[in-house]
Amino acid sequence: MKTNKILAWFVVAFGATYFIVPLLATFEFSLRMRRGEYSFDAYATVFSDVSFRESFSYSIAMAIATIAFGTLLVVPTAYWVRLRLPQMRPVVEFITLMPLVIPAIVLVFGYLRLYNSSSMIPFTGTTRGTDLLFLFALMTLSLPYTYRSIDASMRAIDVATLTEAAQSLGASWTTILFKCIFPNVISGVLSGAFITFAIVIGEFTIPSLLNRPAFGPYLQLIGANRAYEPPALAMIAFAMTWLSMGAIQLLSRFTISAPAKP
Amino acid sequence: MIKETARMSASKADLNRKIFDWLGIAPFMLFALMFLVVPTLYLVTGAFQNAAGEWTLENIRGLFTDKILASFSISIRISLASALGGALIGFLMSWALVLGGLPSWVRSLVLTFCGVASNFAGVPLAFAFLATLGRMGLVTLLLRDWFGINLYATGFNLLSFLGLTLTYMYFQIPLMVLIVTPAIDGLRKEWREAAEILGANIFQYWTKVALPILFPSIMGSFLLLFANAFGAIATAYALTGSSLNIVPIQLYAQIRGDVLHNANLGYALAFGMIVITGISNVIYIFLRMRAERWQK
Amino acid sequence: MSFLALSNIQKSFGSNRVVHNFDMEIEKGEFVSFLGPSGCGKTTVLRMIAGFENPSAGTITIAGRNQNDLKPNQRNIGMVFQAYALFPNMNVFDNVAFGLKIAGLAKAEIQTRVMEMLKLIKLGHLAERYPYQMSGGQQQRVALARALAPKPQVLLLDEPLSALDAKIRVSLREEIRLIQQTLGITTVFVTHDQEEALSISDRIVVMNAGRADQIGTPFEIYNRPATRFVASFVGTLNVLAATVVDPAAGTVTIGDQTITLRESIATMAKGDHLHLALRPEAGSLAEGARGDTALVGAVTSSHFLGSVIRTRLDVAGTVISFDTFNDPNTKPPAVGDHVTLRFAANDLLIIRD
Repeated sequence: MKTNKILAWFVVAFGATYFIVPLLATFEFSLRMRRGEYSFDAYATVFSDVSFRESFSYSIAMAIATIAFGTLLVVPTAYWVRLRLPQMRPVVEFITLMPLVIPAIVLVFGYLRLYNSSSMIPFTGTTRGTDLLFLFALMTLSLPYTYRSIDASMRAIDVATLTEAAQSLGASWTTILFKCIFPNVISGVLSGAFITFAIVIGEFTIPSLLNRPAFGPYLQLIGANRAYEPPALAMIAFAMTWLSMGAIQLLSRFTISAPAKP
Repeated sequence: MIKETARMSASKADLNRKIFDWLGIAPFMLFALMFLVVPTLYLVTGAFQNAAGEWTLENIRGLFTDKILASFSISIRISLASALGGALIGFLMSWALVLGGLPSWVRSLVLTFCGVASNFAGVPLAFAFLATLGRMGLVTLLLRDWFGINLYATGFNLLSFLGLTLTYMYFQIPLMVLIVTPAIDGLRKEWREAAEILGANIFQYWTKVALPILFPSIMGSFLLLFANAFGAIATAYALTGSSLNIVPIQLYAQIRGDVLHNANLGYALAFGMIVITGISNVIYIFLRMRAERWQK
Repeated sequence: MSFLALSNIQKSFGSNRVVHNFDMEIEKGEFVSFLGPSGCGKTTVLRMIAGFENPSAGTITIAGRNQNDLKPNQRNIGMVFQAYALFPNMNVFDNVAFGLKIAGLAKAEIQTRVMEMLKLIKLGHLAERYPYQMSGGQQQRVALARALAPKPQVLLLDEPLSALDAKIRVSLREEIRLIQQTLGITTVFVTHDQEEALSISDRIVVMNAGRADQIGTPFEIYNRPATRFVASFVGTLNVLAATVVDPAAGTVTIGDQTITLRESIATMAKGDHLHLALRPEAGSLAEGARGDTALVGAVTSSHFLGSVIRTRLDVAGTVISFDTFNDPNTKPPAVGDHVTLRFAANDLLIIRD
């Protein structure tokens, strides 16, 4: 067993190096802006760049909208499927897996062809329309994660029995949805929300093809033209991804545990 | 008479209830239709039509021209390479975490990190690797200053097949670890002991029992990694631009400016992508069902 | 000379002593059960015989050969696990053939041997099936065949029936015993179910907190328990508190009643306290019942179970339970009745702890 342990430590050390070194390198590179000494100049430049603020706020706004509308779409659907239409489960699950199979670029290609200015539903005819299309695209992209996360928490609390109990006590549908179901699935909602946040902030392909001023295209543009700001931005992006995932981990500590086994 | 009315109104109530049920998932279905099903079908049918709208296979044939075949070839090779690298290293790491006898904090730390790293892709990842292995990257400089090795003189270039593969592996390895760790967890201690008491040594246990049991999970994860790499574009675009002409980048250029001078050929390109990622995922699901059935 | 000998076995995990000075000699072809509650160390001893744990002290010898330095895969021992542990990627045939393939036997030989084993467990028709397609009982029988196929010198079973339904448990334990007797293989069987141990073993080792409290045949263990633990763990036991009156004469008082013991208490002093145990089937309420001793008590409850009547009696403050066979000519006692329980003084066991 001793050789096992040595080998295991070696493998983990190798993996750790593979993951940490690029992060260190990025951080170090981002500090090189000022000649001859380390400084946070690159970060200062980034934060004072108007395009940064604009694209970042745009992406954050889109993220929030995606989370809001995504949740609004998924929670009632997941609830309904569990409660009233269990036979549709395989179909719905298949649909939620489609965005994982079909690459984002293919989907956007489809949208541009279907919903361009000369079609019946001209999303891309106007800026607002394009924003809406962008929103729907992001919702589609994050669908697998939000659905899986919310569905899992619904399964853990057995919504069917909860609803019956509430109904037998005389609750109305809105009361059931908002007072019984929603509070109990909120951890699933939040988990899905954080993943969605990370996805939306970093998304490049869709806004690039739809010509929207999101953070992804901004990053790519900076990368093409500047030397020290890109690594600074990469650190910021990584920090945000880390925070989102960290929040999910924290959430899972406070999740409602599975119902007691008989 | 009363009974009939009662039955009629009962079945009417039934019908009402059924309509109400289906209404409940209507918004979701509408959304799925508009933004998943129809766009995909549109592209797929477009792949089999020419500019005049007639059915034809010439677009599919058009995929087999040199330039496009070359990009499929590169895409498949990069996806295979990064999936292979990710699968191998990822499997070793999972093994180390579950069976390596390491303290428990190592496992939770590494798994948490993998959760984050598997999502750290796209443009920022390209920047990170440029800062690491680019001409002025930290590792490049350290190799020169500490070990006297001139990395780029050896012919290495980050902006290449190897460079992109290494970059992709940054999210492939964590993805593999996340998927395979539960599978290795599922290797029951009793199987190992049963094999041992029946005379097997460690090598025989792994080759005859453990790896066969893990095979569906490993193979399935490999396919998932493959499909994942195949559909990725942002990292490649930011790193190698269009110098490495992978399929998504071809499609990107086509969408932007019809570089193929044939809209339907673009559809065929998209169709080709869907076929490859679709098949990979179908096999993955099949393998996963197999694995779950065995380890019930 | 014994076939399987455990001499002065001890095991500690860190500072936690799990097995104390375990000594046991098992003859060839004998079926021995290790019986005890969870955590008593029985599985640990079994695993030490298999080689999965190393004794902190002491030796294990099989057929005269010291096993301490041998790895599990070198000991030629067969083992059946509680969770069956069949290899899920192989069908029944391949599972049973596994040990033979490892040993490098020829294909034809393997074929003969495996079919022989499948015939023994009566599952020849399931050779192509996979574990997930079989019930728990079937899987465990295949596990047994797999363990026996390489003709091991010792068979170890670690609570093999605990995961099965009650009905299967009874039929499978008898099947295991039958196979064991047919093959004449030395067997160690670990269980916490005393009925299992009593019904199929040649001898039983009752274990308590890492020690072997008693080693003996089922008859001995049940009728002459050596310690209070053995007496209470194996079967139901009524325990009465008594005080010594005359050590030489062997008289004691239970509450305000005096009885004379058959067993000698000459070593004790007047006024000493001791515990007496009585099995529920030992007493009778009948007027002319056999027995030279009697105790009076008030009936607290009476349950008519068909062939058996279970009565609870308050004797000097302790409630004891005894079983009597149904007699169509005698009505069971009613609650509150004062009755006399007759039994033989011989049946009273002194619990020395």
